[in-house]
Amino acid sequence: MRRRDVLAGLASVGVVGGGGVLAVRGVPSFETGSDDPEATDGAETTAPDPIAIETVEAPGSEAGEVRIPAPERVTFVDFFGTWCPPCIEQMPALAEANDRIGSDVLFLSVTNEAVGSSVTEDELVDWWDEHDGDWLLGLDPTAELTSRYLAGGYPSAVAIDTDGRVQWSDSGVKTADELVAGIERALEAEAGT
Amino acid sequence: MNRRTCLQTIVASSFIATAGCLESLSPGDEESTRSRADGVTLGPPEQDLSEASHPSYGEEFPTVEFPDPLTGETVSTEQFVGERTTLMTFFYTSCPDGACPALLLRLRRAQEVAAEEGYGDDAAFLGMTFDPERDTEDELRAYADQQGVNLDAGNWHFLRPKEYEDAKASLTEQFGLPLEKRDADEYENLEYMFPHYNYLFLVNEQGRIERVYPDGATVDPSQIVDDFETVVTA
Repeated sequence: MRRRDVLAGLASVGVVGGGGVLAVRGVPSFETGSDDPEATDGAETTAPDPIAIETVEAPGSEAGEVRIPAPERVTFVDFFGTWCPPCIEQMPALAEANDRIGSDVLFLSVTNEAVGSSVTEDELVDWWDEHDGDWLLGLDPTAELTSRYLAGGYPSAVAIDTDGRVQWSDSGVKTADELVAGIERALEAEAGT
Repeated sequence: MNRRTCLQTIVASSFIATAGCLESLSPGDEESTRSRADGVTLGPPEQDLSEASHPSYGEEFPTVEFPDPLTGETVSTEQFVGERTTLMTFFYTSCPDGACPALLLRLRRAQEVAAEEGYGDDAAFLGMTFDPERDTEDELRAYADQQGVNLDAGNWHFLRPKEYEDAKASLTEQFGLPLEKRDADEYENLEYMFPHYNYLFLVNEQGRIERVYPDGATVDPSQIVDDFETVVTA
């Protein structure tokens, strides 16, 4: 279906003043409402297997492992890269969202960078510290988690309920309000079940 | 407010609007009239793109040949015929909207699974840049690292035409994917950018196209991985 939407979006690009190029909002966002779980990636209609994510020692984060999606609480994941300038822009809103609602959910940021080769763990932690990260920081070295939940490009965020259903996801730099609203959708889905 | 959203723009030249592929979207010409093409493993795609400007399902993949600056070799798509299943995309490292990392993520994920499942030597992952001016050897190497690509697996190649004009000619004429270069006024740190299509091509060992993913930056990566596995293990 999405494929058709994209092409349909492109097909509607007709009017271009003076030629040149035109930006089209042709790519559907992955913002799938809680009222339409069928529209998510299919895998989410039944609880997917949780993926084990290693967490690192950093401000607000400790070394260990979490399972995503978490079975016992709503999971919020921010996907970022230290190479990604908009991901830096995203950090203050993440910090605010974490302050406001982080204690109600499993709240973490994850990078799929090759930590250990393209960037050392120290460099990652320095980046984290410099941009005031103060919550759980995880690694996705095989990009399995990222592949499952990335909603387009980076940064990207997802809120998943305890049944493993994606209740909200979006890419690009988001405001704290948008992040909190997304997380609340997952929390409300919980309350509803 | 500069809400920098990755993928919020897919960009198209005006003339694409009337390109064949986009007019063939009337419902009703689907499944019933189409069947599995000769020489491919996957069934026909949900979306019939056979009238598109680009080569599509069941057709021969174009032969292109460009240097891989990281290995120093010249890489031709034809060299994988009879050897490897190929997943190919087109990108540039300065891509401001996140589409290119999203495309490479799909190649990288397929590469990862290929290694896990033991068919890495039967697979080829090709990323062709159309921005050789900025995408130097060093840039491409750094980018590969950032995107988690395994350059040591021996199945990943960057294709780098010498000039943008070469890349544009190849992309538009051989792959049927319009491309443009223009000023990037909306991005502070970018002088110019390339509106481009986010396509992925899955090509079997016989050099035939098994699947075209026109929404390569958003298509579910597990779909690509599954399709790739089906084709490579067929």
